[in-house]
Amino acid sequence: MTWWTVVRFAHVLSAALWVGGQLTVSLVVLPLARRLLDGERRAGVMRAVGRRFGLFTGAVFLPVQLGTGVALAWRKGVTWASLAEPGYGRILAAKLVLFCAVMAAAGLHGWATGGGRPALARAMAVTALVGSAGVVLLAAALPAT
Amino acid sequence: MEPHAGPVRRRAPWHLRANALVVGWLALTVAVAVAGDGLPAPRWLLIHVFLLGAVSTAILIWSEHFAVALLRARTPDPRWSLARLGLLNAAAVAVLYGVAAGPAGVAIGGAGVVVAVVVWHAAALVRLARRALPGRFGHVIAWYVCAAGALAAGGTLGALLAAHVGHGAVHERLHAAHAQVNLLGWVGLTVLGTLFTLWPTVLRTRMPERTRRASVVGLRLAVPGLVLLTGGLAADLRPVAAAGLVVYAAGALAALVPLAEAVRVRRPHTGAAWMLGAGVVWFEVALVADVVVVATRPAGGVAAGLEPLLPLVVAGFAGQVLLGSLLHLLPAVLGGGPVRFKENAALLERGWVARLAAFNAGVVLLALPVPRPLAVLGWALVLAAVAVFVVLAVVALVRAASAERASGGHEGGGPAGGRGGAGRPVLSPALAGVVAGCVLTAAAVVVAVTGSTGAGPVMAATGAKTVEVTLSGMRVRPAVIEAAPGTVLTLRVTNTDAQRHDLRLASGERTPMLAAGQSAVLTLAPLGGQVEGWCTVAGHRAAGMTMRIVPVGALAGSGRGTAGDTAGGAGAGHGAHGAADGTRAGAGAAGTGLDLGAAMSPGWRPYDAALKPAPGGAEHEVEIRVDDRAVLEVAPGVRQRMWTFNGTVPGPVLRGKVGDVFTVTFVNGGTMGHGIDFHAGANAPDEVMRTIQPGERLTYRFRAGFAGAWLYHCSTMPMTQHIASGMYGAVVIDPPDLARVDREYLLVQGELYLGEPGGDAQVVKLREGRPDGWMFNGTAAGYDHAPLEARAGERVRIWAVAAGPGSGTALHVVGAPFDTVYKEGAYLLRAGDAGGAQVLDLAPAQGGFAELVFPEAGAYPVVDHTMHRAEGGAHGLFEVGAR
Repeated sequence: MTWWTVVRFAHVLSAALWVGGQLTVSLVVLPLARRLLDGERRAGVMRAVGRRFGLFTGAVFLPVQLGTGVALAWRKGVTWASLAEPGYGRILAAKLVLFCAVMAAAGLHGWATGGGRPALARAMAVTALVGSAGVVLLAAALPAT
Repeated sequence: MEPHAGPVRRRAPWHLRANALVVGWLALTVAVAVAGDGLPAPRWLLIHVFLLGAVSTAILIWSEHFAVALLRARTPDPRWSLARLGLLNAAAVAVLYGVAAGPAGVAIGGAGVVVAVVVWHAAALVRLARRALPGRFGHVIAWYVCAAGALAAGGTLGALLAAHVGHGAVHERLHAAHAQVNLLGWVGLTVLGTLFTLWPTVLRTRMPERTRRASVVGLRLAVPGLVLLTGGLAADLRPVAAAGLVVYAAGALAALVPLAEAVRVRRPHTGAAWMLGAGVVWFEVALVADVVVVATRPAGGVAAGLEPLLPLVVAGFAGQVLLGSLLHLLPAVLGGGPVRFKENAALLERGWVARLAAFNAGVVLLALPVPRPLAVLGWALVLAAVAVFVVLAVVALVRAASAERASGGHEGGGPAGGRGGAGRPVLSPALAGVVAGCVLTAAAVVVAVTGSTGAGPVMAATGAKTVEVTLSGMRVRPAVIEAAPGTVLTLRVTNTDAQRHDLRLASGERTPMLAAGQSAVLTLAPLGGQVEGWCTVAGHRAAGMTMRIVPVGALAGSGRGTAGDTAGGAGAGHGAHGAADGTRAGAGAAGTGLDLGAAMSPGWRPYDAALKPAPGGAEHEVEIRVDDRAVLEVAPGVRQRMWTFNGTVPGPVLRGKVGDVFTVTFVNGGTMGHGIDFHAGANAPDEVMRTIQPGERLTYRFRAGFAGAWLYHCSTMPMTQHIASGMYGAVVIDPPDLARVDREYLLVQGELYLGEPGGDAQVVKLREGRPDGWMFNGTAAGYDHAPLEARAGERVRIWAVAAGPGSGTALHVVGAPFDTVYKEGAYLLRAGDAGGAQVLDLAPAQGGFAELVFPEAGAYPVVDHTMHRAEGGAHGLFEVGAR
């Protein structure tokens, strides 16, 4: 147990909240809202849920994830050059790129929801969710040592 | 059926989703082609992602669709169709993964499921035809059923290939049969059968009168032709195969006659028609070339000969026909009324002249032996045409989806919904999201796992070295090449196998596919870091065709064990092993936790160390039989599989006098190739020491010209594995004046490697020279538990042979000096000399004996005085009784 344990813990916990939150909204909240609420109120509820989740993403998730992630990479001795090397560097680079893509998809989701493009919004939400699972997959693939 | 599904969209929902699968496979095909060399077995993957993924999925969907439409049958329960489709796709993924990366069992299981699915599919078609009223188009169904039969055969052959049944020429013949029956049967028959009705529709003309007759004649020729072709190739009967192919071609021609008539009536005027037509022309060209190849080459060379034809058939024919059909069919299936049909058709056909020209120009470039930049241009043209189609198709699918939703929106598709009651959208946003997410993740994973950069700093050249590399028997030899950092390595790569291989290095260099006996030269950049190499033929990397180039001083074991095969020209390994031995091995033995004091298993019998006198006569006949499934007790309480001669470690002892002749019948009763090498004889190694396969035998006759304690061992590469797994024994040739003694014992010392012989764990330890223990006569510390007997005052002769593979011995008896030492053919010390000796020292593969007289009763340890080996099991006891 060192401070690095805490940093790693924060990184993993924050990621779990983000992926788990998306899953909860998609698999639990959305189907229930569809069943229990009429169109008008459902739209309102979902908009509110989306806004709150977006707020969480921007205010908590992203800062924690970026901060702890950069710190962990620094401790690991990752450099820009080492990101291109096969193995740890390459996997980390792929994970970062995928993470950026997920963030882009999430951003598009927010934009499309506001701009009245429900199909695009839904597609982007699912893209972000599946992509997040991919990020977790790549994180699991990072060699432990 | 949903309430207001339009007439055009009767079968739309599942068909559309299914077509998204085809588009997805096409996109993956483009991705695989672009990723290219970064993937394992790139060429195989490209072909199979396209044919097994895209084409087979499309055939499954469309042949059922056409069967239903032509027979005017009721749509069968879509659940079963979807189940077949799902199974086929899962099986395709299993095959792709199994062959490219995973265990062969996954691929074989996947192939089995593919075969089962197409048989099921054929049965479903037959049932449809039986239930339908007799109609004009029933004959088409027979083509589909026969095509499914062809894939059943081809898939079975593919499973055999994945299982590596048959080596060398047999493998090549199965490969040829597999390719022919799948392309000409599964793809060819389906396409021909479909064109009877599709071609007139595409041309917007009537079906010619003679279609039915042509169809019946064509099928009656094509199917027997295919059977003859496949059988002839598999059974190595060239005339039969060639005749079969000619008959098949005749059948194809007969089937194409009505198509040609249709063209006479109405010239093609759409992109779909031109692409289909061009595809058929490529089919004809490929068939002619195929006839030439099959007729002029032995069956074993057909697969290699067909290689240049593959772009023609796969891209020119199958790819183009698939694209052409989808161009025509997608707008129809997307539905939405005549206006939207026209819009979609116009969208999909946008720029078709340029696309058609680019695609076919690309195919020509791929088929011809042009220089590499032009070949790359060919790829770019073909892939660009496919990519444009994929993009347009996705746009059309998405458009159809949103149009669908717009029409169904009033039913309550809310902002977040997108899933109206009636308008089950053709491609739901959720599905689109899943696909997008999966594609992103897959791309990221591909980036993550490819290691195609020549990692490490740029090195200045410091020297040059040329290494001969051979590819054979699922091995790259040498498996490890060592060189100083900065060395410019030149690899002269020769394929000495009967089947094709290539060698690709992680740093990007690669040989072309080498046929038997061919060579190629690779010149590498100055060596910076470790470089992996492997054969890209599907499955060969997993089977162990890998190698490493290691900068000297970096030989720490890393990655998975490839093969401890350090023989060959590179001079890899042994020096390093020796150095590592003294320092690390003891820790290794201690670390494995062998409990040498534990009890032996009940029923264990020690290898009899007492050496019998030489039998009379100057001729000895011996049978030595390989048993590589023996389970032996290698240390107290530790039983494991060993590779053995006659079921024991060491193998049987041969003893005779100088000049005796030994006739050894060597039988391979094992599960893999083995050989035998008697150091005591003088023979050219070529014949007698050759590797023989399971069930084979050879006669090894040698005259023992010299006295000594000689090693014999398995002569099959990698010898480290075969010797370390127990395949060694001793030949004792008495010196002419050998004095009589009271007792004679023989100790053969060998290293103990725990784990499955030849397994990764053993290989890593072998390469690092890190045995788990040491054994006298096959059991670590065995003679501590079953001491050797002697009496005080008796003269005892201890013969010893060091089998290694990596370490020798410093044989010592605690408490009793040697008065006689005979090593490697000469006495170093004789009884009566003033001097004495404390150790009989033997390098690996040396032998000799020492004599001593036990002074009094007691327990005298016999050890390898390299003490960590003694503590690791090279330890026994003489129980000396009173005189």
